Amino acid sequence: MSGGLKTKELGIMAKKYLRMTLNERIQHINLAINFTILVITGFALKYPEAFWASPITDVPLGMTFRGFLHRLSGVATVTLGGYHLLYLAFTERGRRIVIDMIPMWQDAKDLWETLKNNLFINRPAKVIRMGRFNFREKLEYLGMIWGTIVMTVTGFILWFKEEWLLFFPMWTFEVSRAIHFYEAILATLTIIVWHFYSVVWNPDVYPMNWAWINGHLTEHEMELEHGSELERIRKEEKGRQAHFNEGSGAGPGGGRAYPVNQEGREKFSIKGFYGMIQHLNESIKNWKGM
Amino acid sequence: MMWRKHKTWVVPLGILSLLFLYGMMGEMAWGDNSKCLSCHRDETLAKKDARGNKVSLFVSEEEFKKGVHGQISCTDCHTRILDESHAGKGVKEADRRVDCGACHEGSERLFKTSVHSIKAEIACKECHGYHYIKPLTDLRSTTYRTNLVQTCGTCHPEESKQFGDSIHGVALSRGRPNQPTCTTCHGTHAILAKSDPQSPVHERKIAMTTCPQCHAAEQITREYRFTTQPVKSYYDSFHGLSYRGGDTFSANCASCHGVHEIRSSSDPKSMIHKDNLQKTCGNCHPGASENFAKGKIHSVASIRGVEFGERAVGWVRIVYIILIVAVIGGLSFYNFTDWLRKTIERRPKD
Repeated sequence: MSGGLKTKELGIMAKKYLRMTLNERIQHINLAINFTILVITGFALKYPEAFWASPITDVPLGMTFRGFLHRLSGVATVTLGGYHLLYLAFTERGRRIVIDMIPMWQDAKDLWETLKNNLFINRPAKVIRMGRFNFREKLEYLGMIWGTIVMTVTGFILWFKEEWLLFFPMWTFEVSRAIHFYEAILATLTIIVWHFYSVVWNPDVYPMNWAWINGHLTEHEMELEHGSELERIRKEEKGRQAHFNEGSGAGPGGGRAYPVNQEGREKFSIKGFYGMIQHLNESIKNWKGM
Repeated sequence: MMWRKHKTWVVPLGILSLLFLYGMMGEMAWGDNSKCLSCHRDETLAKKDARGNKVSLFVSEEEFKKGVHGQISCTDCHTRILDESHAGKGVKEADRRVDCGACHEGSERLFKTSVHSIKAEIACKECHGYHYIKPLTDLRSTTYRTNLVQTCGTCHPEESKQFGDSIHGVALSRGRPNQPTCTTCHGTHAILAKSDPQSPVHERKIAMTTCPQCHAAEQITREYRFTTQPVKSYYDSFHGLSYRGGDTFSANCASCHGVHEIRSSSDPKSMIHKDNLQKTCGNCHPGASENFAKGKIHSVASIRGVEFGERAVGWVRIVYIILIVAVIGGLSFYNFTDWLRKTIERRPKD
């Protein structure tokens, strides 16, 4: 946006669409913290002489604590995974996520068309309208599920080796060890290369996609990455226009439009506090410098 | 004075006194120990110590001359023998303290730091002997490498016996020059307690320097036809990785192979013999099953490996490396094109 935002665009962008509920954001932060701990404590074992491992290796009992922390975070991640499964199964929004997350032929086409756009084969670039979860997100989410399953299984084999080796030969243990290591590299690099590009380095969202903190996307962001979803929501809204009631809960999988500056804040409530954070985020995001 | 007038006296007197001094020096410098030996060559010469035990005071001149100190005089070491003790009835005891450090400064300094000096009241002579000290290279020396097992064994009989039966001890007794003896692992003068972090047998040093000094040494491993693979594979195993990071609960070489009693895996008494392996693993892993003991422990992943596990891990590695390169490479490429297009589209239009 080298030319800066036009007033007209600002008007459009002021509209917010719910992307992640508070529950989902807490799940995300939980995973992010545990994943980081797992990565650091895991690779500190494989590369004990690395400079960044010194906070662990230089401390007495550091390696013992490292192992403990790694298992603890592993258990936390598995528990979170279990919770997430329950969330998907027993909430309406969760079930909607499952349905929207199913990879479709359209996703492959989107990927292909985006690539053609990127390589300037499509001239002028095609406008690609993607669903609630675009192919980037589906790929990543499914990859994460796969990775979590692999790491959980191999991790528990390594942890409960005595029990495992009651029934299985030693080479299965060795193979688990190798898989656990290489899958860790794959997962870490995928997060750095794919996820961090999507939400940080992508010029459309840089410096950050704030949805993981404030929970919503702007209309502009929706247009860029979830065009067909935006269309769907707009249609839905038109249908409901007559009975529009501010403060109604988020529809399943749908967005909710609300004004940026919520007035008449309650004395103290999670909602009020949340509004404060939103306001703060807005200020940070719209900060144009001194 | 009179002699000043007759100065002819001065020269012969000076020469005479110089000759006298020279004669005295000669007696000392060349170790004419005949005076001492005139009594001490008597094989029956003895005394009683404080406890009433008979102590022989016999010194064999022949043996002494063959020793490494054969050329020096008794008084070079026995500096504090008081004349009165020997002059009269011989009742008063000589000061027996011999200060080896007067000449052997370096060894003395090292020895002062050792557990032998600090915790125990032993001195040089306990290991080196005294009147008949042989050079280190002499087969009869108490500190010759093959004799060390016996020398140390006088105070450490249990360890000495275990070591003598071990694969190292057996090979040592065959006289191979680069076989390990006590000092190979424990050091020489500065032997430290195993709890001392500087000690080569400290748990942090065993697998880092002490065992690898031979077992990761190309020349020795080639000569005795074993491989450096165990050290390498240990460092890549969980035990080794955690150990390298400073974990002292993690197994090191001695945890499985033993200390003094290290034996070949084909020896039924060995801790790593296939029948004992389950028990050995069980020391740290209670409930270790039979499968713990099956398969190669020091395995190195390779698709051409000897054992199935090695090949399996080798294939897993290849598949994963291809997968990682393909996936991460693909994603990076895709993102790069994405970034490029979005950046180009954002060029200032002029």
